[in-house]
Amino acid sequence: MDYALQQVLNALAFGAEYSLVALGLAVVFSIMGLVNFAHGEIIGVSAYSVFLAAALGLTSPIVAVLLAIAAAALAAIAFERVAFRPVRYAPTTTGLLTAFGVSIVVQNLFMLLISPKPQSVSILNGLNQMWFFGPFAVSSLQVMELIVSGLTILALVLFLNRSTLGLAIRAASRDFATVRLMGIRANRVIATAFAISGALAGIAAVFIMARRGSVSPDLGFSLVLKAFVACVIGGFGSLPGAAVGGMLLGFIEVGLLVALPQEYGGFKDALTYAIIVALLVYRPEGLLGQRVELGDKEI
Amino acid sequence: MLKVENLSVRYGAVAAVRDLSLSVGQGELVALLGPNGAGKSSTINALTGLVAPSAGRIVLDGQDISRVRTEDRIRAGLTSTPEGRHIFANLTVGENLRLGAATRRDPKGVRQDMERFLALFPVLSERYAQAAGTLSGGEQQMLAIARSLMSRPKLLLLDEPSLGLAPKIVVRIFDFIGQLKAEGLTLLVVEQNARQALRFADRVYVMSSGALRFDGPPSGLADEHGLLNLYIGG
Amino acid sequence: MSQAIEDTAPAAVARPGGALARSLIGGLVTSLPVLVVGLLILNFAPTYYTFLALGAFVNLIVVVGLQVFMGNSNIANLGHSAFVGLGAYGVAILSTPLAMKKLSIPNAPFGFATLELDPVSSALLALLAVGILALVSGKVISRLSGVAATIVSLALLIIVHSVFLNWTGLFKGNQAFFGIPKVVGLPWMMVMSVVVIVLARLFKDSRWGLQLRASAQSPQAAAALGIDARRLRLVSWVLSALICGLAGILYAYFAGTISPKLFYFQMIFNTLAMLILGGMATVTGAMTGVIVLSVGLEFIRSIESGVTIAGIQLPQLLGLSGVALGVVIVLCMAFRPSGISGRYELDELLSRFFRHAK
Ligand SMILES: Nc1ncnc2c1ncn2[C@@H]1O[C@H](COP(=O)(O)OP(=O)(O)O)[C@@H](O)[C@H]1O
Ligand SMILES: [Mg+2]
Repeated sequence: MDYALQQVLNALAFGAEYSLVALGLAVVFSIMGLVNFAHGEIIGVSAYSVFLAAALGLTSPIVAVLLAIAAAALAAIAFERVAFRPVRYAPTTTGLLTAFGVSIVVQNLFMLLISPKPQSVSILNGLNQMWFFGPFAVSSLQVMELIVSGLTILALVLFLNRSTLGLAIRAASRDFATVRLMGIRANRVIATAFAISGALAGIAAVFIMARRGSVSPDLGFSLVLKAFVACVIGGFGSLPGAAVGGMLLGFIEVGLLVALPQEYGGFKDALTYAIIVALLVYRPEGLLGQRVELGDKEI
Repeated sequence: MLKVENLSVRYGAVAAVRDLSLSVGQGELVALLGPNGAGKSSTINALTGLVAPSAGRIVLDGQDISRVRTEDRIRAGLTSTPEGRHIFANLTVGENLRLGAATRRDPKGVRQDMERFLALFPVLSERYAQAAGTLSGGEQQMLAIARSLMSRPKLLLLDEPSLGLAPKIVVRIFDFIGQLKAEGLTLLVVEQNARQALRFADRVYVMSSGALRFDGPPSGLADEHGLLNLYIGG
Repeated sequence: MSQAIEDTAPAAVARPGGALARSLIGGLVTSLPVLVVGLLILNFAPTYYTFLALGAFVNLIVVVGLQVFMGNSNIANLGHSAFVGLGAYGVAILSTPLAMKKLSIPNAPFGFATLELDPVSSALLALLAVGILALVSGKVISRLSGVAATIVSLALLIIVHSVFLNWTGLFKGNQAFFGIPKVVGLPWMMVMSVVVIVLARLFKDSRWGLQLRASAQSPQAAAALGIDARRLRLVSWVLSALICGLAGILYAYFAGTISPKLFYFQMIFNTLAMLILGGMATVTGAMTGVIVLSVGLEFIRSIESGVTIAGIQLPQLLGLSGVALGVVIVLCMAFRPSGISGRYELDELLSRFFRHAK
């Protein structure tokens, strides 16, 4: 396949994955101001659930995909219930640090209860093949990442615009108290937001497992860091911003992969972050963000 | 219908409401007047549960709802249109109205109510698919009240519906409030604009500095020596 | 945290002349426990504990540095170990004897391979490098909203770590950088700890510190008073980075060997948990957290590596200390966000205590 086209597909696939994860972060942040550092561990719970199910004899990839998504959604709801609810009305920094703590706990629990070493998971390997279109060969995983992410984002947009609960989530991102005055249960809105965020993470977990063929305690951590950066560059808390930021990050990364000589390949992440930070010099509020004052958080 | 006994609200060291008792009977329109900072909004927010009272009881239809969550008080038929309107600016007019009916399970009734308010306020109908943030202040107030009514409340609390609006629009809004009363809705209206609030009021409470200063019929307020000027400034 | 401002503000304003002295004495009183612990270890403890104590002192300086930014600006900083690492690598590159350099970084660029400076000049130059990085990163960070600033602090950590790993000619990559002159022992460490504690306290009580804390509490009100929050965030960011850089320098000079992974997330976890547990509003909190968690972590690590209880050998429990750190952070945030020491510095607590006792 044409090299340039291949690289564009690469960038789109990377970008799609970052967008999914970044959207998950943005949904939660926009309605409750929580910077969810434990999002990577939601991906982790999802992946380890599949690992354990496979170890117990699960063989169907379809069931594994459903399990990954369900486990992630449940994990997200559980994190909220146990750790984030007590700090729901606390300042942003308190929530952020709580989430950071949850992230450390869960990562180390994987180490403690399963193993610090990567564990092989082959159940989803079938997703990662080469597809041939005449003379062209493309990675099935990349095509699926692109299509699934696109469909997921479409579904999310429909949900947020059509369903009452979706409307409530959008309304709550600006004015939670008044949403409650509509008789809509705050806990339900928040649980839904977490479930959506978790489901998005679960989809990402499927792709990660299919690509890597293994799970490890820090599976989601670095991905989520990148997704955070995508959120920041898109405008923190803005959903379109998260999607756009994720795509931009994908293109920057692939661009660097192409441009950097082999021996400097190790600097890819460093340069990606440096470029983003440099962009922030010119747009501190992000591409689609609004200027918010430091420490702002409406209850 | 509503009975409030010895209600107090504190924000840290600030006592915003002190030992307030009031009641609203079925079908009544009761006005709660007082100057800025008197504690009127705090009272309303305590009634809806958005702020937790430090003491007192709130009884709705014989049921003590003091410990009931906001969401469930709305479901029990008590609704408020908050001060400053608080329409969802990023949602469309139609979406605002839909959220108002979020607790209802009768799609047909919801549609009828929606059509009724859209006919009543043609502006809302024209701007149905536009972001509510683009409406003018008066239109936003109409939307906010209509949104509250979409839940078919038994008791509607209105917090300063005239705030920041031109006199002509205020008159229109109170005409509508009078109409609601005529239709049998029970209302507690908080105002600084006493003249308008008293047009349809059956009874009046006046509060200042967190405490009740007057309780009686609107005519009594005029008799009361200088009270109107003292607390309401007009 | 907000309370802390109301509390110290009147004291500092009431006696402008005495404020500096008060703050200085406060800092010295606060550092007393550190001195006592240090002296006890210096005189009585076996070598192993001395080594542990040195590590704890490095953590103390890092945590105090972290407090200078986080405690005053109320913005989470998750990248401070980048500065610790830069300080450590700075002196490693500048002060390691040439004979050693031939083995470790023979091809270092800019003539570093043939340069050997004395430890003090090396330290000063390393601090200069830290200061420059802090200034550049601080320019960006101080302009961002709190959340974005935190994310960028993380990005900074990843950038710096990745440079350590991949610029093998200068930093020796993944492998340990050895042969750094071991010129720092416990006495120096104690002196520097006291200096840093006093410095952090002086900053907190200074007009800058006060204004920064005010603006963190209420940005609009502070802006209305003409407080330039960005500049104050930048100042505290640079001071915080310099203190962290100093910790790295001291670490390199006592351990003699460093590697990139020392200055990565593990250090962030440890020091952040210490600051949160102790209480980030105060310098006393920073110190308390370090003392409590250093002891606690050492205990947990001994279990983690597999203990023998009543003749039964328990298995290794890798990850236990991490779980404990995370749990400490989560529980603190939920039940006592102001940490153990709350809003008072040690000297303020003591003077309150004696006032009540009278
Ligand atoms: N969220 C709050 N925190 C602290 N004080 C408040 C808060 N809301 C209101 N207050 C104070 O409570 C008092 C009553 O306010 P409010 O109930 O809004 O009065 P009104 O609606 O009659 O103007 C005022 O002194 C106000 O400053
Ligand atoms: Mg009011």
